[in-house]
Amino acid sequence: MAALCESFTLRGPGPGGGSGPGPGPGLCLEPGPGSDLVLLTERGRAATLFKISDQKPLGCWSVKHGQILTCPVVCNFETHEYIAVHDDKVLRIWKNEDMNLDKAFKATLSADVYRIHSLPQGGALVLFRGGAVRTLDVLLEAPQQEIENLISAEAIRWSGAFMEGQQPVLIFTTEKDRNFFVYVQKPKLGNLHKYKLEQQGSAKPLCFTAHITNQTVTLLCLYSNNSVYQVLIPLQQDTEEEEEKEEEILSKSLLLNLSVSGAVLKGTSLVVLDKDHIAVLGSLPEPGKKPKECLTIWNTKFQTLQTSKELPLGTSGQLWCYEEKFFLIHGKVLTVIMYKCETSSLAAAVGKLKDSQTLDVSSFVNWNTLEDEELVVSFQSQESVALKAEARMSLRSNRSTVAGQSGTLSVGQLLLRLKDASNYVVETELKKLMAKAPTPDLQATIGCVVTALTDRCKRNPKFYPQNLLQEIVETRDLSYSLCPDLMAVALEQKDLHLLQMCLERFPDIPEEITYACLKAFLSVSEDHLKSVDVNLDSAICYVDVELNDMEVKTEILENGFSEEMDQDMCDTKIPKESRSVGESCPVGLQKAALLNAVLHSAYTETFLLPHLKNLPAQQAILFLRYLYYLYVKCSEKVNTTLPGIRSPTINQIMDWMCLLLDAQFTVMVMLPEAKDLLSNLHKFVRAQVRFYSELNKIEGSLRELQRLNHLRESQTYSIEVLEII
Amino acid sequence: MGEFEVHRVRFFGLVPAGVRCLACHPRGTRLALARTDGAVEVYNFAANYFQEKVIPGHEARSVESLCWAAGDRLFGAGLGGDITEYDLSGLSAARGVDGGGGPIWSMVANGTGTQLAIGCEDGSVKIFQVVPGGIQFERNLDRRKGRVLCLSWHPSDTHIVAGSIDFFRVIDVTSGQTVQRIMVNYHMEKAKRECVVWAIALLSSGTVVSADSFGRVQFWDWEQGTLAESHTVSTSAVLSLAVAQKEDSIIVGTSTGATYHLQLLPVRLGGLEKRWVRTKPFQFHSHDVRAVAHSPTALISGGLDAQLVIRPLMEKVQKKSYDAALRKFTFPHRRLVSCARKARLLLFQFSQYLELWRLGSTEETGKDGEVLPLCRMPEHLVQLKSKGPEHIYCSCVSPCGTWLGYSTASRFQLYRVRCDGDGVSLRKVPKVPKLLPPAYQLQFSADSESLFVASTRGSVHVFQLLEPGGCKHLHTLRPPSGCSEAVYLLAPSADGHWLAAVSGDWAIHIYNLKCFKHHCVVPTYDCAVSAIAIHPSTNNLVIAYSDQQLFEFSIPEKQYTSWSRAVQSRGLHRAWLERDSPITHITFNPKNPSHILLHDTYLLCVLDKSLVSGREGWGCRGLLQSLTRAVPAPLPQPLPDDSALLMNQSTLKQLPETARKRQLHAFKICKKFQPLLFMDLLDKNCLVVVERPIMDFKTQLPLPVQQKKFGT
Repeated sequence: MAALCESFTLRGPGPGGGSGPGPGPGLCLEPGPGSDLVLLTERGRAATLFKISDQKPLGCWSVKHGQILTCPVVCNFETHEYIAVHDDKVLRIWKNEDMNLDKAFKATLSADVYRIHSLPQGGALVLFRGGAVRTLDVLLEAPQQEIENLISAEAIRWSGAFMEGQQPVLIFTTEKDRNFFVYVQKPKLGNLHKYKLEQQGSAKPLCFTAHITNQTVTLLCLYSNNSVYQVLIPLQQDTEEEEEKEEEILSKSLLLNLSVSGAVLKGTSLVVLDKDHIAVLGSLPEPGKKPKECLTIWNTKFQTLQTSKELPLGTSGQLWCYEEKFFLIHGKVLTVIMYKCETSSLAAAVGKLKDSQTLDVSSFVNWNTLEDEELVVSFQSQESVALKAEARMSLRSNRSTVAGQSGTLSVGQLLLRLKDASNYVVETELKKLMAKAPTPDLQATIGCVVTALTDRCKRNPKFYPQNLLQEIVETRDLSYSLCPDLMAVALEQKDLHLLQMCLERFPDIPEEITYACLKAFLSVSEDHLKSVDVNLDSAICYVDVELNDMEVKTEILENGFSEEMDQDMCDTKIPKESRSVGESCPVGLQKAALLNAVLHSAYTETFLLPHLKNLPAQQAILFLRYLYYLYVKCSEKVNTTLPGIRSPTINQIMDWMCLLLDAQFTVMVMLPEAKDLLSNLHKFVRAQVRFYSELNKIEGSLRELQRLNHLRESQTYSIEVLEII
Repeated sequence: MGEFEVHRVRFFGLVPAGVRCLACHPRGTRLALARTDGAVEVYNFAANYFQEKVIPGHEARSVESLCWAAGDRLFGAGLGGDITEYDLSGLSAARGVDGGGGPIWSMVANGTGTQLAIGCEDGSVKIFQVVPGGIQFERNLDRRKGRVLCLSWHPSDTHIVAGSIDFFRVIDVTSGQTVQRIMVNYHMEKAKRECVVWAIALLSSGTVVSADSFGRVQFWDWEQGTLAESHTVSTSAVLSLAVAQKEDSIIVGTSTGATYHLQLLPVRLGGLEKRWVRTKPFQFHSHDVRAVAHSPTALISGGLDAQLVIRPLMEKVQKKSYDAALRKFTFPHRRLVSCARKARLLLFQFSQYLELWRLGSTEETGKDGEVLPLCRMPEHLVQLKSKGPEHIYCSCVSPCGTWLGYSTASRFQLYRVRCDGDGVSLRKVPKVPKLLPPAYQLQFSADSESLFVASTRGSVHVFQLLEPGGCKHLHTLRPPSGCSEAVYLLAPSADGHWLAAVSGDWAIHIYNLKCFKHHCVVPTYDCAVSAIAIHPSTNNLVIAYSDQQLFEFSIPEKQYTSWSRAVQSRGLHRAWLERDSPITHITFNPKNPSHILLHDTYLLCVLDKSLVSGREGWGCRGLLQSLTRAVPAPLPQPLPDDSALLMNQSTLKQLPETARKRQLHAFKICKKFQPLLFMDLLDKNCLVVVERPIMDFKTQLPLPVQQKKFGT
């Protein structure tokens, strides 16, 4: 589902607000040096840095009169420097504190620059009009170096840069005589591929956008026939490029027809929101009236229009999208429209969306925009939740007309802060948040916070606020779907205690994760576990620690479990050691507690079974030994329950035992060390079955007696014998 | 000790009438209760909640409202339109005074108890003056259209609030004018339905509390006419409401059987601002709770399921003790069954008829707990309907089973029963001596030759029964010092020599029947007597009091027996004393003179006197020790304290032999038969018990839904 939320004005009709008709668009928007910041370039003169949430400029730089900025100003994310090109050839680099652009670093290049793309980990790439690409570093070493011309008479229409692995990839499209070409260039390797776009009748592409997934560039083109086409370009391996000399023609597939109940949306710009959603800015012709412009969000999977917003004052036809916000010129003002876009998959609805899928979501945007994949992802995932939370909060405060937000950080701000603040700050902020009185949305907020924390953990493996996460999981009723990455991060960090808590508390853990936990628990060594702090409540009451001493154990447990078992054992002459299998705990106390947490978690057999098949044989045997031990322990008591808090129930034990045997049976049969275990288990189960069938018979008899007694009670008259002693 | 053949009877189809209204005595010592059949009962809280007085109902006399006025006078009013004063010493209803406004829905006495206000069908509120010997109409207050269903006086007697359908009004008593009229259905969307104000109270602060059929309890400022608070306590109607004297606590009863406690509590701890808060819900009843009362220490509710529930307020009780226990009363504290031992007949008393049954028999014997096959089924011999609208006061069948008598408020009837083969014929005994009815208790002598009739002013009439079917008044026994109260219990001795009679002032007089002379008075013990019986061989009178004390008084010696003194000096076991239903019948086993058989609603007990008496020097806890120690006790064991168990028979039977020997005690308590309405010994090892399982009569009650009376 996608929805457009509230909108606000970032910048009013300023002096540069509406530039006159020029060869290109009047404005350009680039991400700023941090989140919540955008860099607005007005063709011609000035670049302004805006803080979006505050709706105000933080800095403005302009070139001297007579000079013209010829491409959008970008920010180098590594050095936090701004890079601009004026008069096609003059490169300027400056920092935040530089006030005057004239005094900034200046380098004059030998060829005309088309655009500069900045990548978070890839530095800045300079694309020349002739199609050549240089990294900024290379260029600055020798600004006057010769720049080759790769495209003769073609004009660049759009360009985009991405990171593929550690390598930057630059893609641009050119036009010549109504023919369109796509170039894919890896500047670090110096190879270039040229493709020709398949013609589409008389229609021609108006707008491009692209993103890279799994070594494949997906290029989306908005054509003048009001359709969106998708072009897939494989990123070629280096070895092949020698042979490929001839021009390849790229075939395209129709992704979406922009038709709205009969009328056709004449699109002007296109933005990808996630793998199922795109946003199109365009105009809807209305018979007898001026066409009305509107911003629309489409679901490409279901080919439906999800939402739209009319923009009656007209737009410049440009659309940018950063951090789950649209930016466009509405009338003469730069307007920010927030949106929510949630993956419309069943998995998402059930809350079992795997994290790899969420990472797929990326957004590659306007033809004159360059964005880093990961940044956008993190922006989107965090901002969306922050926005949601904030929107709700503002609604609430409006209603009650109480400005309760003052003093503490708003959730959105908090989330932004969580991204880079120090551990101490994070902790104090979260303590404040947790100390707040429970409000209906606090739960969701905590979920967002945890997601933000795990995102940060993923980005920075050194960052892992263990205590904080444990405290949150312990005190809040979180669920897996509320913070899907948490357990993955905990697994990565081997935080067994947190995993135990999650398993005990989350109702909706996917089977894959449950399995991963099980495997992790089984594989961790007992020695290591001794030093780990886990909650032992579930196991401490029945796991007899002293009995772990092997010598003592065989002595004490001379007597078999039941008479029947004894007989069976005598018959088959099972060596004495194997008898101990059912009688002393095969795992240590800590491991038992961790395994109990797994036994407690909810699962569906069909989904768990395929994973369990992957369990290594030794671990499977160990687990089965433990389950057998639990089963024997349970059966010792009349009420077949184990003592202790959260100790596994007999049903859980039996279900897991059956599952494990189902999954691993062929393996177990083959393993000699499993043979005794299986045979003991078989005998024990058989004895239990007999025992219970006898009990059932007794129960039946007792029931009949009770019935007779009841019958007698209901009589109105009887003569009974009463003995008084 | 012995085996008994127990005739377990469950065919006594008694359905107790529902509780219609309650009135707590202003001093909180007595509770008057009226049932839907018009019977009025008085419970004495001081005497362990004993049902002290019962005035049987009357077909034409429904009681909608009861109130205490002018001290201890009890008035009732009902849909008959009369205001009736009840003669509590004579246990009868005095002639009613017509209220003059049609059916009376409610009646309340003012704070001083000098005036009664009634709310009538015609919408009028009338004031009556309570004068010695009766009441006198004083004046009419402002009459408005609409039945007045409930009334309440302001504690200062200046105003009366009257609840009707859809509205209530406040009337100035001095001017008689309506000074405020408030619509209660104003705020309701379902205003198309009538909103019946079922109960109302006017607090001293000027707040009016109303309870209505929409399930709301509302607090109004009557002077402003504004609603201060509204509590929707139930989805069904709130039928009754009672306010504590301190006005800090309210109990309401609803038609779902739930009762709710509302309390005036400070908004914050220690603060001055207070609000009414619904604090505790209770679900003691299965049917409509038509009546609630608020004593200083307890919440009292009575439902159409015939239960009276007394729930002490924990905060008013000093310590957690027996006083804090919840009391539930479903069955009367008196006998409704009499037994002809020799003829093996049972006579059941219903409100307007009697049933005579012959018990079945068996030829088999068996072990403990076995049910013996019947060789003859029990037989319903006859149903005897009482004529007229009056309900039956008492009934009795003679031990030989040939005489049967009953009494209503105005008539006393004696019948001759003849069983010839399968048929039964009843013949009314003609020319029964005209006496001042009613009779409160009838008792035939053991030889069935005389009949004792308990009467007013402490008197007992002695009739001689004549063959083939006649009756002659022999004598009237009266206490020498005079007495104003009626006699309610009688016990003749088996040898026909003595008669013990208990009157409402709890004095036990003993008469010598040979010379018709007053023999002596049992020393006064300040508690209600719940059962008496004279031992057939020793002529000792065994007395059970409602506080569960047992005494044995030697009639020939005119003093308590040494056994009784021993028991008193040692004290009875706490578990015995803390039972909440009184002993209603005592009988003896002629074959085993040391055995006393007693029963209450929940247990029957064979008290073996031989295990208690004859051992001296045990100290103050002697009895207790004897109760729990093996008898004969080889090793006297020190007892912990009162926490020693008073084990009943089924527990003892489960003990192993050795432990059982140690735990045996004199009170052979059997709880197998419950609720027990009657128990008697037919012969030396044959008992009859009459049970009435609660579920059996609950199924005969109307469905527990909101009672559609009118207007709802």
